[in-house]
Amino acid sequence: MAVDSKKYLAENVLNERRTVTYRLLSRVLKVHSHVAKRILYDFHHNENSKKTNSVNATYVITGAQHPPEPPATNGNSHESDGDDIMQSSPYISSSMPNQDADADTVTTSSIILVREEDLEDAKLTFRSISSIHVYSLQPAALQDLNILTDVSRETLATYAHEDPLEYGKQWGMIQNQNVKRRTGARPPPPAASTKAPSNITVPAKRPLQNDPPKPEPSKNETVEQKQPPQKEISQPPSKPTAQPAPLKKEKGNLFSSFAKTKPKQKKEEAAPAASGAESAAASGAEDLNLGDASEEEPEELFPDSGKPASTSNRESRKEREERLKKMMEDDDDEEQGNDADEEMPDIAEPEEELEEPAPLDEPLPLPEKQELKEEVTVQGGRRRGKRQVMKKKTVKDEEGYLVTREEPSWESFSEDEPAAPPPKKKPAMNVPKVKPGTKPGQGSIMSFFGKK
Amino acid sequence: MANGDANNDFLCPPNDEEYAPAYRNPSHYKPLHTFKLPSGQEKHYKQQYGDMYFLRLARLKPAAEQVAAETWDGFSIAGERARRVERVLDVRQGELCWVAGTIYMDMPLKPNILEDLTKENFTLAPAPRRTYIDSSNPEATQYMLEDESGRLRLTGSLLRSTQLATGAVIAVLGTENSNGDFEVVDIKVPDLARQPHRWERGQAPETEKKGKIAFVSGLGITGSSSDTLALDLLTDYLLGYTGTPNENEGAPPDASAITRLVIAGNSLGANVTAAAASTENVAAKKAGTKKYGYDASAYNASPINQLDSFLAEILPSIPITLMPGETDPANFSLPQQGIHRAMFPQARAYCGPPPSADNQTPEAGWLDSVTNPWEGDVEGWRVWGSSGQNVDDVLRYLDFLDDGNEDAKNGDVESRIRVMESMLRWRCGVPTAPDTIWSYPFQTHDPFVLHSCPHIFFAGNQPRFKTALIEGEEPPLALNGNGTDTEMADADHEAPTQRVRVLCVPRFQETGELVLVDTESLEAEVVKFGIFRGQEEKE
Repeated sequence: MAVDSKKYLAENVLNERRTVTYRLLSRVLKVHSHVAKRILYDFHHNENSKKTNSVNATYVITGAQHPPEPPATNGNSHESDGDDIMQSSPYISSSMPNQDADADTVTTSSIILVREEDLEDAKLTFRSISSIHVYSLQPAALQDLNILTDVSRETLATYAHEDPLEYGKQWGMIQNQNVKRRTGARPPPPAASTKAPSNITVPAKRPLQNDPPKPEPSKNETVEQKQPPQKEISQPPSKPTAQPAPLKKEKGNLFSSFAKTKPKQKKEEAAPAASGAESAAASGAEDLNLGDASEEEPEELFPDSGKPASTSNRESRKEREERLKKMMEDDDDEEQGNDADEEMPDIAEPEEELEEPAPLDEPLPLPEKQELKEEVTVQGGRRRGKRQVMKKKTVKDEEGYLVTREEPSWESFSEDEPAAPPPKKKPAMNVPKVKPGTKPGQGSIMSFFGKK
Repeated sequence: MANGDANNDFLCPPNDEEYAPAYRNPSHYKPLHTFKLPSGQEKHYKQQYGDMYFLRLARLKPAAEQVAAETWDGFSIAGERARRVERVLDVRQGELCWVAGTIYMDMPLKPNILEDLTKENFTLAPAPRRTYIDSSNPEATQYMLEDESGRLRLTGSLLRSTQLATGAVIAVLGTENSNGDFEVVDIKVPDLARQPHRWERGQAPETEKKGKIAFVSGLGITGSSSDTLALDLLTDYLLGYTGTPNENEGAPPDASAITRLVIAGNSLGANVTAAAASTENVAAKKAGTKKYGYDASAYNASPINQLDSFLAEILPSIPITLMPGETDPANFSLPQQGIHRAMFPQARAYCGPPPSADNQTPEAGWLDSVTNPWEGDVEGWRVWGSSGQNVDDVLRYLDFLDDGNEDAKNGDVESRIRVMESMLRWRCGVPTAPDTIWSYPFQTHDPFVLHSCPHIFFAGNQPRFKTALIEGEEPPLALNGNGTDTEMADADHEAPTQRVRVLCVPRFQETGELVLVDTESLEAEVVKFGIFRGQEEKE
C-alpha cells in the first residue's frame, strides 16, 4: 500500500473537506476496488463512532426492486391520449423504476445510488438486496449527488497516464485478453474543458501521492485560471512601450481616416504616464482585444478593476469614441444644442487629430476633462443643476440586432445634500458591456487586420 | 425484505482477502457491411429515388406472390375463382383477382416534396410530426397499391385493421368496384425471410461459454454534469467494480459475462448542437467578427469529449459497437455512416486499422463505429438493429387509438413491438425510407430489404423497454396463416421455424436501463441504474 489509507482519508475528507469515491481511493492507494469500499466503510464507521455525523457517505444498493405501483392519476391522464409518447409523463422522469406491469417476466435488477440519510427508505423499495457498498465519503451530506460525477471525471483525468490495460487488474477491472489497441502514442489526456463547467472544489492535486505524476491536467487547469493576472504581472515593463508603439503607429497612418484608431493611439500616449505594470496590463489587454474582441473581454475586467487611474483613461477614451461616433452618424442629440460650450472642445479635438496625427510627445488631454460633468447652482439652500450621467440606451443597429450602449446625457437634479461625487468605478465596470455595442459598425476591420 | 447476511460483504473492515481477477469471455463478432456507402467521390446524389421502389418490389414481389399463391390458389367466392394478375393496371372491374405491389399511403399531414416545391416553400427539414394521420378527417387517408405500371386505390374495412405503411410490399385479394377502387378481401405479406443458422458465418468456438450481449441507447450526454451519474454507475458495472461475487436472487448478472456492448444511437443529447448554435452564433455576430473555420466559441466540445472518455474508460475491458443516431455527429439520412474516429481522440486507439485504398474491408476494430441501421453477427447470432428512426416513422402512419387496447399506457410500447414485427414480416427494415425518412438514393440494390431474418432485431431510443419473441410460420405447411409452430429444438431440422428476439431498447438518459440478452437462450433482462431521490421528493 503506497499511502496510508487512514491518513489519506483523514487529510482529504476531514481536513480538505473533499469527496472521495471508492474508485478514487482504489487508484490512489493502488488497491482492488472491493478493498477500497471496505476501507471507506471502516473509516466511516470509526470516525462516526468517535464523533457522530463527522463523515457522510453515499451507498450503492444492488438488487431487485419491487415493481412500483402504477400511480392511478397518471394512468388516467394517459387514457385521454393513449398514443402519447411516454417521455412527457412524470412517471418516467421521477427516475423511479418503471417496469411494465406485464414485464415482470423480464428480470430486472437495479443498481441504485443512495444518500446515507435515505438508506433505510431505499432498502424498503428492494425486494431483495444482493449487496450494499459505500460509494463515496464526504464531510457533509451532498445536496447534489452530481458532484460525484465531477469527482470521477477528475479521477479519470488525473490518472490518465496510468494505462488501464496495465493497471486495470490491480483495481479489479474485468480483464479482457482480446483487447486490440493500435500501437502508437498514448491518447492525450482528456482536455481540460471536460471539467471546466464545474466550479466545485474537488481534489485537484494530491500532495500525499508518492510517485510524482507527470504534468497533471488538473494542475494545468488551475494554472490556466490564474493565468491572466500572472501574465500581466510577469510582463517586463519595457515591453508595452517598445513593442506596440511602432506597430500601432503604422496602423495609425494606414487608418488615420478611421475614427476608431484614434483611441488606440491615445492609449500609447497614456502608457508612459501610468505606472509601468499598470500600462503593461492595460495594453496587454488591448493587444488581446485586437486579436479577438469577443473572447478576451471578461479578462479585461481583471486588471482594470484594481486600477482606477488607467481605468479613467480608458473610460474617457470610450466616451470620446462614443461621442465621435454619434457625431458621424448624425444622430441628433439635444445635449449638443443645450451645452454647446461643453461639447465643443470634444468635437474639435478629434477633428484636429484627423487632419494631422498627434505627435507622440504631445501631452495627453487631462482625464478630468472627460469626467462626468456637473453644473450646479445653489438656490435657497437647495442645489439645483444638471449633471451628465451615463444612460443605457438600447437601439436597433443596422443589422437588426438590439444593441445596448451607454451614452452620456444630461439630467437635471435638485437636492439639499451636497452632491455625491459621480461614481467613477461604475462606468469602468461597464466597459466590456459597451464594447460589443460599439464594435459592429467600424471595429470589425481593425480586428481583422490586427489578427496576426 | 433484505436479509442482513449476504449483503454486507463490503460493509466490514478490510481484510487480507485476495480477489482473483475476473476475465471476460471473448466476443465473436462479424459485422456485415450492408449499409456502408461508397466513400468520397463515388457517392452520388443525382439518382432518382424511384429506383429504390423498383428494386424493392423486384426483390419482394416473388416472396409475396409465393405466400399469396399458396393461400389463394383455388380460392373462390360464389363460384368465381381468384385469378392472379401480373400488374395492377391489368385488374378488370368486377373480377375476383389478386395482385402484388408496393403500398403507398397518401395522408394529409404527411410531408410532401411536390407540395413544398409548388409552394416554393424551401424549408430545411419539416418539423417532425407525431403522426401523419389527420384525426379530424381519418377518411382523407388513402391507400394505394403501386407497381411499375400504375396505381390502384384500395378500399375496404380490412385496411383499417391492418398495419400498413408506405413502402411495404404486399399482395391483395379482391375486386375492383364501380368507383374504380379495389375492394380488399385479404392481404398477404412476404413474411419472415429465411433465418440463418447460428454460426452460419464462421466457426463456432469449441468451448461454448455462456455470455450476454448488452444493448444501450440514448445515452444523451449533454456535457453538463447533471446527466452522467447513471452513466458512471453503468461504467462501474461494466468494468466489474460494482461486482457482486455472490449469486443472490435479484443480483444483476455478472458483468464479466457481457461480451459486447452495442450502443444504439443518440449518444449525445438532442439539444446540444442546436442550443450552442442559437446562443453562441448570435453573440458572435454581435461582436462583429467574422470567423472562418473552427470557431471555439460556437462549438461546445464537452459532450463529445465526455462520450470519448466514457468509451475510452470501458474499452480496455469490453468491445463496443457504436451506432450513430438522430442526434449524433453523423450524416442525417439513412443509412447513417459511422461516427468518425477523429471525434474520439482517446477511444480511437481501439478503432480498427484505417480503411485501405484497395477497397478491402478491414478487420473490425475493438471499438467498431458502424452504420445505422446495422447488421452483423454477434456470438453467432444475426443481429439487425437501428437507432429507432424507422420505428418512430412507421408509427406515424398507424392509428393505434381505436384498436381497443384498454391499457393505453402500454399501448405505445406495445405498438412499437408490433411495428417491428410488421417490418420483419414485410421483410423491410426501413419501409418508409425514401418517402418520409431521408435516405441515400440507392440505385443498384435496396439494403433495407431483409434478405435474411435476424435472430435479434432491435430498435434504439424507444420510450420504454419491451421485448417479444416473434415466431415465423413454416410456409410449406401453413395453409391458413397460423400453421404449425414447431419448437426450434434441433437446429438440424429441415426448415426450422424462425424465432426472432425483438427488443425495444429504451433511452438510457431517461430510464437508466441497460438491456442484456443471453447468448444461449436469447432471453432479455434489464439492469437499471439510478439515484434514489428520497430527500428531494420530500422537499
